[in-house]
Amino acid sequence: MDTRQSGIQQLLAAEQEAQRIVNEARNAKMARLKQAKEEAEKEVAAYRAQMEAEFQRKLAQSSGDSGANVKRLEQETEEKIEHLKSQAENISHDVVQMLLKHVTTVKN
Amino acid sequence: MDDADVSKQIHQMVQFILQEAEEKANEISISAEEEFNIEKLQLVEAEKRKIRQEYERKEKQVEIRKKIEYSMQLNASRIKVLQAQDDLVSSMKESAAKELLHVSHHHHILNITHHHRAYKHLLEELIVQSLLRLKEPAVLLRCREEDVHVVESVLESAQEEYAAKENVHPPNVVVDTEVYLPPAPSDEHPDHGRYCSGGVVLASIDGKIVCENTLDARLDVAFRKNLPEIRKSLYGQVAA
Repeated sequence: MDTRQSGIQQLLAAEQEAQRIVNEARNAKMARLKQAKEEAEKEVAAYRAQMEAEFQRKLAQSSGDSGANVKRLEQETEEKIEHLKSQAENISHDVVQMLLKHVTTVKN
Repeated sequence: MDDADVSKQIHQMVQFILQEAEEKANEISISAEEEFNIEKLQLVEAEKRKIRQEYERKEKQVEIRKKIEYSMQLNASRIKVLQAQDDLVSSMKESAAKELLHVSHHHHILNITHHHRAYKHLLEELIVQSLLRLKEPAVLLRCREEDVHVVESVLESAQEEYAAKENVHPPNVVVDTEVYLPPAPSDEHPDHGRYCSGGVVLASIDGKIVCENTLDARLDVAFRKNLPEIRKSLYGQVAA
């Protein structure tokens, strides 16, 4: 066997192997970077879901508050109207008499 | 060099080549990890910021809508109260209108119409007032058919009272016996249509100037004039 030949072959084989090792690392790197996009999307989706849940929670709470407010407002309105009605009953007679007096009194 | 040395050298060179490759691969791997983290972080942060803004906007819209709804409800309730006030005041006027009918109510006993003395006097004063307003030498007078006799009984006295006050000749008053003011509501004429509670309407002979001195017209005027005061006594006690 020609030692020199075999030596050169060994070196060539080593180079090839070296190249393969580096390429493998480069491929792994590209794959890893692609993963970055996928994992980012996953995290973002989780974040969005969290925000949405919080939003819905706040929404439900505030609509509950609104409902209570509306009821309170309605009640206050009814009370005001009842008060007016009773006040009207109090003054109605006097008002009618006053109006009749104006109609039947003539100042010439 | 002998074969063994060459072989050894070759072996070393091979090792060296492979080692270098491993080191390079390692560097690549480390930089891959770093770049992965940076890239992922940037992507996530950029998207998160957008999402935060989106939800801020959504919440603001909800806030605004809530405010508008509340404001609308507040308005609706205010209108309800104002409407109630208005209705109560109007019903007082209606009560007065009903009472007004008693002022001129004629009692029919044995087909003879008896009138209140007060109403007779009121008619006379209304005629004088209308004459004073018109200041015309010749006028047309319209009343309800049921009031004609009363009117005619006080007409001359009214004309003279006016003449004395204005220092003029007594005016010529023609009582319209063709067209009468509508009658008071009764069982035969319920007050769905037009009716008149009493009083008179005078006009210049050419019909251009009219003085409406019916009790109904006077009630309208009295009501409108006193509306602020009526409202004050009604609203006054209501907490704003």
